[in-house]
Amino acid sequence: MKRVANLCFALLLLTVTTGCWNLKEPNQLSFVKGAGLGLTEDGKLEVSYLVVLPAALGGGQISGGENMETFRVMSATGKNVSDAMVNVQSKLSRKVFSGHRDIFLVGQRLAEHGMGETIDPFLRIPKSVMRSMIYVVKNGQPKDIFSIVPFFDQFITTSLSDEQKAMGLKPYLARKFVEDVLSEGKQPLVPVVGLNPSEHYSYAGSAIFNKDEDVKLVGFLNKKETSYARWITGGLTRITLTSHVPKGDGSISVTLDSLDQNIRVKKIHEQMQIAVHLTGKGTIIENTTKLDPTKQKDLQLIQEKLNQKNQKLILELIKNVQEEYKMDIFGFGEQVHQQYPHQWKTLKQNWPELFSQLDVSVKVDLQFTNLGQTNTSIYP
Amino acid sequence: MGWFRKSNVKNKLKTNDNRSSENLSQTISKTIIKNKQVLRNIFQNCSDIVFHEITIHSQTKLLLIYVDGMVDTDIIISNILKPLMYDGLPQGLGTIDSVAQMCEEEHLSVLNTKKLSGFGDITNHILKGNLAILADKETTALLVDVKKFETRSIEEPANEPSLRGSRESFTENIRTNTTMLRRIIATPKLKIESVKTGKLTHTDIAISYIEGTVSRTVLNTVRERLNRIQTDGILESGNIEQFIEETHFSPFPQLLNSERPDVVAAGLLEGRVVILTNGSPTALIAPMTFWAGLQAPDDYSQRFIFITLVRWIRYVFTIISVLLPSLYIALTNFHPELIPPVLMLNIAILRENAPFPTVIEVLMMEIVFEGLQEAGIRLPKQIGPLVSIVGALVIGEAAVNAGIISAPVVIIVSTAGIASFIIPRYSFGFPMRMLRFPLLLLSGIFGIFGIAIGIIMIIIHLIHLNPFGASYLYPVSPFNKRDFKDVIIRWPRKLVKKGGNNA
Repeated sequence: MKRVANLCFALLLLTVTTGCWNLKEPNQLSFVKGAGLGLTEDGKLEVSYLVVLPAALGGGQISGGENMETFRVMSATGKNVSDAMVNVQSKLSRKVFSGHRDIFLVGQRLAEHGMGETIDPFLRIPKSVMRSMIYVVKNGQPKDIFSIVPFFDQFITTSLSDEQKAMGLKPYLARKFVEDVLSEGKQPLVPVVGLNPSEHYSYAGSAIFNKDEDVKLVGFLNKKETSYARWITGGLTRITLTSHVPKGDGSISVTLDSLDQNIRVKKIHEQMQIAVHLTGKGTIIENTTKLDPTKQKDLQLIQEKLNQKNQKLILELIKNVQEEYKMDIFGFGEQVHQQYPHQWKTLKQNWPELFSQLDVSVKVDLQFTNLGQTNTSIYP
Repeated sequence: MGWFRKSNVKNKLKTNDNRSSENLSQTISKTIIKNKQVLRNIFQNCSDIVFHEITIHSQTKLLLIYVDGMVDTDIIISNILKPLMYDGLPQGLGTIDSVAQMCEEEHLSVLNTKKLSGFGDITNHILKGNLAILADKETTALLVDVKKFETRSIEEPANEPSLRGSRESFTENIRTNTTMLRRIIATPKLKIESVKTGKLTHTDIAISYIEGTVSRTVLNTVRERLNRIQTDGILESGNIEQFIEETHFSPFPQLLNSERPDVVAAGLLEGRVVILTNGSPTALIAPMTFWAGLQAPDDYSQRFIFITLVRWIRYVFTIISVLLPSLYIALTNFHPELIPPVLMLNIAILRENAPFPTVIEVLMMEIVFEGLQEAGIRLPKQIGPLVSIVGALVIGEAAVNAGIISAPVVIIVSTAGIASFIIPRYSFGFPMRMLRFPLLLLSGIFGIFGIAIGIIMIIIHLIHLNPFGASYLYPVSPFNKRDFKDVIIRWPRKLVKKGGNNA
């Protein structure tokens, strides 16, 4: 018994004397909900944090919290990421805690400069979470977005993390971004938020990056294009399409919510051919034409019209990306890698060049269910 | 309770010690006067012992000795005194010359008689409620069992209520208790061995088991340990528990206790050994397993789907009751990233103005909670509700409003407290409540690693526990597939294959 007691005492001493105590009360931490990286006009790296002020959030015990701001945006510049982070920390009395970071923003200037070098240490700090969603800030700096006072949530970061889901996109997390950068046959396509004149943010499509050149921003896709591109990569959950139907003299809107995609690679005369097959099931939500979807003939007409229209648009998008940016954001390279692993070894050397010359065909198959809900227009 | 401790005994008067122990080893002599004198010496200053001398037909002298209040005077009068004094010697029994001979041949119309000649034995029997009849010129005394004394009637079990099943509970009288067992298990295989322990109390203890199903090793261990008991007094079955348990340095009880005959009978049928103690309405069941502590009396009488769910709820709450406070500390203070962001923020908001570290807060609350619980048990019934009102108001509301304790801690501590009440056996809730404290300290120092160390130590201890040669964690370790199923799902009885339980 005495030996056990001695041992326990020794262990206790060990824990106390080494000072290895990483206990931190919640009120010794400053919770960072969002972090951002940007370049200032004079080319300095700037780290900005959206820091929560718990005392101001109130919560029963604490009174007088109504008039206080619930968050503060802290930013500082530095020679490199760590330096900037230390500089922000020096402005805060509590230790920065990034474990609950929702959002990670990158300023456009930094993105255009190439952010591979800076984002890598930032995302790789063990205490940083890969669950954060990543956005590029169009025409602005992260701290501009962070300063916005949102109307639904307490912090703009919460709104931003719900934004993608509301747009029918699967969340694009920092983890996914790293995955894309490390992959061989795919280029990152990062969502973009823009600042609008009304001092609020807006989702503005996505940004195309070139991972082979220090992850540099090379161009933007608009919202519609982003949806199509995400449809091809499987990152879309819901899309609303509207199309003019000349035969019925009106337009038809559909919401598709079970989307699927299938990319097949065919090798014809040593040339790779990509066949993209997109399928979607959904509901007609608006019909201003004279056509009656409950009739088989009219339905077929509508479906064909929409298929053609979207086929054309998607093909245009792919052509555009192939010619203008030469960035394989659709992950065709991955497919080639999977289906022709041997050829891929030689192809991957100059895949960006090959991608721009790829022969791509697109087929869209849409199906509409719940036909009774929206019928012909009551104004004939 | 300390009155039988050695240190106190030393201070007692020792005047007659030698003389009476000398007397106890003597045997009865021929002259009744002398015998009376010896017994008078033994029972010196015992005002409740009655010496009643009678002379029958002016020739035979009889001496009746009994403890006032412990014998049935009606039987003595109608079955012993009346026939002897008025009717003379019984005629229908052949030739009986004297009362002495009648005593010799135990011709009395009572069921249980015995002839003894040592004063020690006689004394013991008198003290257990027998009537001693000493006749002149006889070297043996006739002991007649005419026990009758006030006992509590059979009541509903107060500490182990159940929705379904028998409403009987044990009483203080060991005979009543064995009767209840015998009524449930009517087989000669049900053995009830009698042992006496306690140098002064001579407490009757019964070892009960079912021959054929009982584990021999357990039975022998129980017998051996009961015989080894060296003490002045046994007042309660808990005293025995302490003498025969495997290791004292364990928070876990190693004998199951129950005040319900049906639970005890179930234990017997499972092949366990039951120890009944006179004067205690609580029976001990050996050996105990960890899982038995989490089973309620009516587990096997309710429908299995429901009980399976309830069992799992018990498992979950057992874990909660042990781990929740320490997990809270570890998560908020060491690994805040593991708590959902919004929840963490809310905790951080409530922690903002807290004056004490979380560890201290939780410790304080735990101590207060334990205090309240203890106060609630000891208080008279009329004041009992007061404790809960004061406890709920003072600790739940005022402490939080005054900013002494942060609100989440109150929730955590009370949840863990309530969780420990879900454990059906009250005595099995103690280890859960106790283990909270070391785990609290461990998590306060090492975080989640501390908890892991604590859990590992507890599990090692549990695996090491081997009360009466049976493993404490039995169907889990050592693993037994058939019995393990019963731990996860209380399978319908019809579908369980028949066979002896080797617990």
